[in-house]
Amino acid sequence: MTATQPVNDTIAAPATPRGASALAVIRVSGPAGRRLFEAVFGRPPPAPRVICRADYKDVSGRVLDDTLATFFQSPKSYTGEDGFEISAHGNPLIVQLILNDLVKRGCRVAEPGEFTRRAFLAGRLDLSQAEAVADLIHARSERALQSAGRQLRGGLGRQLDGLSDQLLHAVAQVEAHIDFPEEDLPDEDLRQLAGTVGEVLRGTRRLLATQTYGDLLRDGIRVILLGAPNVGKSSLLNRLAGRDRALVSPEPGTTRDFIEEPVLLGGHLLRLMDTAGFNPAPGAIERLGMEKAAGEAAAAHLFLWVVDARQAAAPPALPPEISGRLTPDNALVLFNKADLSPVRQAAALPCPAFWVSALTGEGLGKAQAALAGLAERLEPETLDGEAIAINARHADALRRANEALSLAAQKLEAGDTSVLLASDLREALDAIGEIMGKLDNERVLDRIFSTFCIGK
Amino acid sequence: MIVCGGGHAGCEAALAAARMGASTLLLSGNLDTLAQMSCNPAIGGQAKGQMVREIDALGGEMALNTDVTGIQFRLLNESKGAAVQSPRAQCDKKAYQFRMKQTLELQPGLRIFQAIVTDIVASNGNLLMVRTGQGDAFVGKTVVLTTGTFLRGLMHIGLNKSEGGRLGDFAVRELSGALERLGIGLKRLKTGTPPRVLGSSLDFSLMEEQKGDKVPTLFAFHDTRGDGDLFHMERPGLSRPGWPPGSVALSCWMTYTTGETARLVRENVHRSAMYSGEIRGVGARYCPSIEDKFVRFADKPRHLLFLEPEGRATEEYYINGLSTSLPMEVQTALVRSVPGLEKAVILRPAYAVEYDYAPPTQLLPSLESKKVPNLFFAGQINGTSGYEEAAAQGLVAGVNAANKALGREPMIIGRHEGYIGVLIDDLVTKGTNEPYRMFTSRAEHRLLFNHGSAELRLARHAEANGLLPPERVARIRRKAARIGHWVALLETERSGAGQGTFADAIRRAPAALSVLTGLPQDFVNETEAIKSEVLYRVAYKGYLERERRQIERLAHTEKIKIPAGFDFMAVRGLRKECALKLSELRPQTLAQAGRVSGVNPPDIGILMVALEAARRGTASSSPTTDCAEP
Repeated sequence: MTATQPVNDTIAAPATPRGASALAVIRVSGPAGRRLFEAVFGRPPPAPRVICRADYKDVSGRVLDDTLATFFQSPKSYTGEDGFEISAHGNPLIVQLILNDLVKRGCRVAEPGEFTRRAFLAGRLDLSQAEAVADLIHARSERALQSAGRQLRGGLGRQLDGLSDQLLHAVAQVEAHIDFPEEDLPDEDLRQLAGTVGEVLRGTRRLLATQTYGDLLRDGIRVILLGAPNVGKSSLLNRLAGRDRALVSPEPGTTRDFIEEPVLLGGHLLRLMDTAGFNPAPGAIERLGMEKAAGEAAAAHLFLWVVDARQAAAPPALPPEISGRLTPDNALVLFNKADLSPVRQAAALPCPAFWVSALTGEGLGKAQAALAGLAERLEPETLDGEAIAINARHADALRRANEALSLAAQKLEAGDTSVLLASDLREALDAIGEIMGKLDNERVLDRIFSTFCIGK
Repeated sequence: MIVCGGGHAGCEAALAAARMGASTLLLSGNLDTLAQMSCNPAIGGQAKGQMVREIDALGGEMALNTDVTGIQFRLLNESKGAAVQSPRAQCDKKAYQFRMKQTLELQPGLRIFQAIVTDIVASNGNLLMVRTGQGDAFVGKTVVLTTGTFLRGLMHIGLNKSEGGRLGDFAVRELSGALERLGIGLKRLKTGTPPRVLGSSLDFSLMEEQKGDKVPTLFAFHDTRGDGDLFHMERPGLSRPGWPPGSVALSCWMTYTTGETARLVRENVHRSAMYSGEIRGVGARYCPSIEDKFVRFADKPRHLLFLEPEGRATEEYYINGLSTSLPMEVQTALVRSVPGLEKAVILRPAYAVEYDYAPPTQLLPSLESKKVPNLFFAGQINGTSGYEEAAAQGLVAGVNAANKALGREPMIIGRHEGYIGVLIDDLVTKGTNEPYRMFTSRAEHRLLFNHGSAELRLARHAEANGLLPPERVARIRRKAARIGHWVALLETERSGAGQGTFADAIRRAPAALSVLTGLPQDFVNETEAIKSEVLYRVAYKGYLERERRQIERLAHTEKIKIPAGFDFMAVRGLRKECALKLSELRPQTLAQAGRVSGVNPPDIGILMVALEAARRGTASSSPTTDCAEP
């Protein structure tokens, strides 16, 4: 692959800024415009430029949103191509899900300014606007580059660096035997190669699961409420969710199973999960609930540790496997029932604490803001339109790397070290290269020559 | 048209131009060393073998010359998949040269003349004039320079230096200055070659034999070897004393360096021209000297050496793997430290040679100089290494110099069409800092470059430039049609064995490709070339389609041309470093610009808009405006 973006494929991107708002518009343009319209809305487009109401269904058939859709027919469209616009509800989660789905269906996330560039190239804008188009591409790509740079300098970049280095090593092994069959090279170590490929595959899977934000968006951020029985976890959950979902009773240990409530907070989807309280002397059923709570806690992204305000000075201990995970980046302590506690003295705790009352609503606003702040930090990127595009692109590239690596793993399993194995590995390397910047062939050769003594 | 140099590049350039109808003159400093294999006596191998078949597909001579003069043929990489299988041949060095010389002599429209070119100047408008050491001058519409390692060639054996492009040959001192006066930048590269030894002084019983294939894989698409051919080295009846009766192919022999070799190298490395700082030119990483091998890979106890016969009528052997610039007495000890070579007699010493090359980013994709119109460059002067790389460039430069002289469009082979396309695009777009050699891994679409498909891939260029006789073009078209027919049929016809089509069955067991049971009899009766191409396309359909999709996605930007005088610095929004790089390199298409390192997609986006604006600005003063809704 080269740096050049093709202009004959179908592109998609949000047209409205990121953030919660009444409406969000997503634009799609390219030769697959009509086919995609039919695929996602399950109906042929109405007459061009006529708005229709339609459910957007993803590849698995799940309805993502109730939207308004408008089809534009080539050449009478902004870009001169077939295309459509989706007006969805202005929830960043929905926008991201729709965009991810469009990518899965073969769309490419548009380059900065690409709709306008296409419009210009199609003769839809006149010559006097050429400079304005160039300025637009320049400005938007600078912004995109900056936010991508921030992301790649962080944990994502480090992990990708490691993966691409491992992959480069594997590629060099395989390529050396293809390009230098007459050399006295050590035999290919299939087990080691398979090990490397497996490790990279696990790495890209892990990145897809944790770093791309896609899963967080799809499933929501898992926030778990922890604490001793009867500190008011369920009441707080109801407060935060704004309705009575959890069964609330003054009797300790009422919540034995899970209560889960989706909450939209500052543009983030949170899945608040109420758990059984950690009781030092539980009954049989309660014990089951507690075990499950510990299991759920292991998969949680954020923790809300609820403590009875009257015990703030000496909160009952949490199981060590949980308390060990709490940090200022992933946990808040809520001293609930603050209304009952005139004395406000708290023990030193590993994370910020808030005095709240599920009953009166005291302190809840601040706690919510802090929770939204934590959710914000979970996202790999600041939230504007460009950043979403980058994320969807990363996820797309990682998915392609995954597919290619799975094929490579199968071949290694079968003892196949042919040029097709090399082809799969390089596809994966190219895909990661789309995020990191392309590794050109020279890098592969460098690695071969520094690893093996080649030459006659 | 004038070709300066008679190596592998010069011979192909002169033949191609003459065959296209250009009146051609080839000047060489020594007509006895035309098409000389200055290094090892072999043609082909990884990626190079495919390239030689491409040369044949474009009407070049290297493939035919190799087939006739070959003394051992092997198909490399049989286990790695058809795409990367490469034919390789040991050749009879002298036969190779003399057959090529005769071919040049017999070629209508071509004159060869022994002379050393010492100067080149622009003359009378667009004409170029070359002057020779004898004081003659020749004027041509176009000139192709194929100087090999002769420009300020300097040879090193230990600390001993002597001028020359090759052992026993001269150096050309004056031409470098002439090129610099024309504004062409020059740099230094280095290459080296191992000692040659006397076969009768070797003990082959201590070495491992490497035999050729029973059935040779030829390079040319049609076997033209005839029994009566003077240069045909494998013709029956030829035999050597001491060789098994009936054996016509010669063997190569494998042996290894020893601990003693390593000790000798380590103790004397300061006396090597390479390590004493005598040599400033850059050598290739894939062609290290024995000094390099022991220094850079100190933990590797021994290194593989091949003894390759230099010809059928000579006892001379080439020690592949023992390139060095150590002094003569160390070379002798070094050679004799190797099993089987204990009593070896050295016929010619190993040496390193430094020479001038003109960094190839100064060239257009036609291999014409950007600075000096009508002057073309091919071969080692462009920083490459290898007979095949040289011949491929020579062919392209010859074709394009003829096209230019005849007022036609240049032939540009795409990166997706063959190794020759990759070679030239890499050279003119990226340049090179070490002698450039082709590897399959340099080609992003190598799955499409299986050696058997070369004439199918390049037929359109051969036809458009008149490089093949019309009957051969017609034959290729028929072959392509047969292949298309069979691929379609195997994809749709259900196999007798149940479970889907023939194609499904082939893809289920691609390892059993050669087993043709159950396939339609008419198909089985097809030629081997057709059958293997059909089976290849069917078996690797998924991968080949992926390659084609990638090519299609990029095809658009290949078509967007950048006008010659385009001012990159004036493009608003284009990053300065990017504009500078593009101004220097002057890519001809948007796709080529995209391959320049450091050029990003947004730059290409901006460039695309600027090119469109420039096009409209010159095409019509009134812009088309039927601007629609935003």
